[in-house]
Amino acid sequence: MNGITLELFVMQMFTGLALGTVFVLMAVGLSLIFGLLTVVNFAHGAFYMVGAYVGVFLMGVTGNFWVSLVLVPIVVGTLGLVIERFLVRPLYGRGIDYPLLLTFGLALVLVELVRIIFGLEGQSFDVPEVLSGAVNIGVGYFPLYRLFLIGVTSFIVFALWLFIEKTSYGLIIRAGARDPEIVRILGVDISKVWLIVFAIGTGVAGLAGVLAAPMRSVIPDMGSTVLVEAFVVTVVGGMGSLVGAVVAGMLVGVVVAMTSLFWPSLADLSMFVLMAVVLLVRPQGLFGQKGLMG
Amino acid sequence: MNDDIIRTENVTMRFGGFTALNDVTASFPNGQLTAIIGPNGAGKSTYFNVLSGAFPPSEGRLIFEGKDITGTPQHKFARLGIAKSFQITNVFPELSALENVRIAIQALEKRFDFWTPRGQLTDMEHRAADFLDLVGLHTHKLKQASNLAHGEQRALEIALALACQPRLLLLDEPTAGMSPEETMTMVDLICELASDRTVILVEHKMKLVMGISQHLIVLHHGEVLAEGKPDDIRNNDEVRRVYLGQGKH
Amino acid sequence: MNMSNLTGTITKNRVLVVFAFLLIFPFLAPYEALATDVLIYGLYALGLNLVFGYMGVLSFGHAAFFGVGAYGTGIAMVHFGVHWVPSIFIGILMAGLTAMIMGAMAIRTKGIYFAMVTLALAQCVYYIVYHMGELSGGEDGLTGVSLKTVDLGFTTLNIIREPLSKYYLVLGFVMVAIFIFSRIINSPFGSVLEAIRENENRAQACGYDVKLTKWVAFSISGLFCGLAGALSAIHLSVVPIESLHYHQSGLAVMMALLGGMGTFFGPFIGAMAFLMLEDIITTMTSHWQLFLGAIFMIFVLFFPRGIWGSILHWISRR
Repeated sequence: MNGITLELFVMQMFTGLALGTVFVLMAVGLSLIFGLLTVVNFAHGAFYMVGAYVGVFLMGVTGNFWVSLVLVPIVVGTLGLVIERFLVRPLYGRGIDYPLLLTFGLALVLVELVRIIFGLEGQSFDVPEVLSGAVNIGVGYFPLYRLFLIGVTSFIVFALWLFIEKTSYGLIIRAGARDPEIVRILGVDISKVWLIVFAIGTGVAGLAGVLAAPMRSVIPDMGSTVLVEAFVVTVVGGMGSLVGAVVAGMLVGVVVAMTSLFWPSLADLSMFVLMAVVLLVRPQGLFGQKGLMG
Repeated sequence: MNDDIIRTENVTMRFGGFTALNDVTASFPNGQLTAIIGPNGAGKSTYFNVLSGAFPPSEGRLIFEGKDITGTPQHKFARLGIAKSFQITNVFPELSALENVRIAIQALEKRFDFWTPRGQLTDMEHRAADFLDLVGLHTHKLKQASNLAHGEQRALEIALALACQPRLLLLDEPTAGMSPEETMTMVDLICELASDRTVILVEHKMKLVMGISQHLIVLHHGEVLAEGKPDDIRNNDEVRRVYLGQGKH
Repeated sequence: MNMSNLTGTITKNRVLVVFAFLLIFPFLAPYEALATDVLIYGLYALGLNLVFGYMGVLSFGHAAFFGVGAYGTGIAMVHFGVHWVPSIFIGILMAGLTAMIMGAMAIRTKGIYFAMVTLALAQCVYYIVYHMGELSGGEDGLTGVSLKTVDLGFTTLNIIREPLSKYYLVLGFVMVAIFIFSRIINSPFGSVLEAIRENENRAQACGYDVKLTKWVAFSISGLFCGLAGALSAIHLSVVPIESLHYHQSGLAVMMALLGGMGTFFGPFIGAMAFLMLEDIITTMTSHWQLFLGAIFMIFVLFFPRGIWGSILHWISRR
C-alpha cells in the first residue's frame, strides 16, 4: 500500500474510465434492447466477439483502422438485424424467457462459427500508429489509445442521446418503450422500431468489441466474460435506463481499477460486491424505475 | 366493536408527481354492501388498491377492525380477512377450477407442507367444491380455468376470494365486460354474498350500484365528493353535476 | 387401455418407472461412464426444474450449486480427509447455503432480472473459488478426489475398476433424491410453486408470501444440484473450475428445456438426449457446440415443450 501517490491515484482513475468505456457501450446496447423489446440479449457478448473478429478481418483486407472502425458496427448491426427479424421476432408474445433462451443458443453458435473460421488461436489487433504512445495528462503519461476510447465512447453516447431525445424517430422509440400499443395506434409499425433498436444495440456491441480488441486478447471466448460484466453494469445502473448504463459502466470501471490498485487479488470480485450492495440497497438499480424491479 | 369494518384516514396516494388520491377519509359500515363510484379517472381503482393492500398509501392510515394495518404486505391481507377480486380476470389459467380454489384455501393452512401427497387433501377439495357450488360453477370443477367462459372466470375469481373466509370482500368492477345475462347472474351472486359478509364494490355502472348497495362513496378527482345512502347520493347536487357533466355511464 | 390412461398410470408411479428404467439403463447406454453422467446431469437438471419448470423462474446461476457441491465434497475429502459419505452431505449443505445467500439477493428482483442476477452472482462464486489457492486448486481445478472402494458391509465395491458398480452407487443417491423430489412437487408446497408460475399476483393475493416461497424453492433446488455436484466430484475424481462457469448453468437450462420443463421425466430425458448426442457428434467433429446451439434454438423456436412435454401434449390432444 506504500508508494500510492495522488498522481498514481488519478492515473488509475483514468484507467478505470477507459476500462469503463467498454462496459458503457455494452450496457447501453443491452439496456436499449431490453427497454424496448424486453429481450435480455444473452448473445450480446457474442456480438462483441464477432465485432472484434470482423475488425481483425477488415484490418487484414483494408489495412485501415478507421475504415474497420466505421464498418464493424455496420456489419455487426446488419447481422443483428437479420437475427432479430428471423429468430427473435417469432418469439414475441411467447413469454419473456424465450428470447433470452434463444440468444443463449445463438451465442453458442456464433462462438463456434468463429472458431471454425478463425481457429482457436488468439488474433492480434494492433493499435494504429497515430493512437499508440502516451500523452502527458498533467499527472503523468497516459496511453493515447485509452484516451481515444473515452473520446469515442463519449461521442457514441452523445450521438445516441441526440438520436433518442431530439429526433422524431427517437420520439417513437421513447414512446415505444413506455407503451408499444400507443405507437401502434399512432400508425407506426412498432416491429420496425424493434428491428432498428436491436440493430443499433448489437452494432454498438460490435463496436465495443473492435475497440477493446487491442487491449483484450481476441479469442472466440472473449464475449463470455464481457457478458457477465455487462449484466453487472446493467443491474447496477438499472435495466432500461441509458443514463444508468453510462454512470454504472464508468462506476464499475473505476471500482475495478481502484481495487486492482489497492487490493489486486480482489479486483475480479469488486464489481460483484458493488452489485450485491446495489441489490440490497436499491434493487431496481441506481437509475431504474421502481416498477420494473423489486 | 366498531360499526365500521375498515376506514381510511387522510389517505393520499402519489405516483411520481401525480396525486391519484388526495386526503381521502372514509369509512365502510360493517355488514353492508358499500359501493365506490365516480367518473373515469376519479381514483376508484387506486382507492381499491389501497383498501386491498396492493398499494401502501403515500400518506395516511388504513384501519381494519380498529387495527392500523397501513403498510402490511399484500400477502398478509388474505390472512387478516380481507380478500379481493381483480378488475382484470386473475386466476391460475392452466389449473382446473377445483385446483384454483383448493390452492386459495391451502394458503391459510398449508403454505409450507413439503410432504403430504395432494391426493390426501380431500377435505380441502370438498371445501373447494362447496365454494364452486356457491358461485355456480359446480358443473365445471375439472375444467381448466383458461377454458371457462369470461363470466365463469369472474365467478371463479370470486370463489378464490371467498376461499380465504374473508370478513371483508373487495370486488373491482366484477361485471366488467360481461353480457347482460352474465351481469344479472353476477349481481345475484353479489347480493347473496353481501347477505352474510361486508362487501365493497368498485363500479362505474351507476344504475347497477344504486339498486344493490346500502352505502355509497363518490370519488371525484381523487377526493371524496359525497358519502351516504343511495337516496341521498341520488339527490346530491354535486354528484348529479359531476355525473351529468360527464355524460351517462 | 388408451394412451392417456397409460400416461396417467406412468405419472402415478413415476418414481418406480424412473427406477426401473435407470436400473437397466447402463445396458442401453454406449458405456457405463456415460450412463453415470446421465444420472448426475439428470439430477442437476431436475434440481433446476423445481424453479425453472415448476415455479416458472429462470435461473442462470445453478452452476454455483453444482460447483459448490462438487468443491465442498472434494475439499472435505482431499484436504480434510473426511469420509466420502459425510463429505457428500457437506457438499450438499454448502450448496444449500450458497443457494440461500444467492437467493436472498436474487429474489429482490423480478422476472427476467432473476436470470441476469443469478448468473452474475454465480460468476462471483466462480471467482471466489478461483482465488482460493491451494484449497480449490484455482485455475487447474481440484484434483485427487479419490474414492477407490466402497464397503457396503456385505460386499465391497471396487468402483475404480468396475464402472457398473460406480453407476449403481450413484444411482442409490439419485433415487433417494428423485423420491424426495417427487414428494415435494406433489405436496401442497408443490402446488404453491405452480400457482406462482401461473399467476404471481393472484398467489400473493391469496395469501402466499411469494418472495419467501421463491427463496425456499430456490434453496431446495440448490440442495439437489449440490448433490449432483458432489456425485460428479466422486465420479470424475476431479472438480474442474469450469463446473462453476455460467456455461455449466446453461447446461442445466438446456437439458431441462430439451427434455420438457415442468415435467417430471423431462430433465432426465433431456440429459440423456443431450449427453448421448454429444457423445455421437464429438466422435465426428470437434464443433459439437455448433450443433448444440442450433438444436437448442430449434427447440426454443418450434418445440418449447421439449421432448417429453411434446409427447404429453400430443397424447392429451388426441
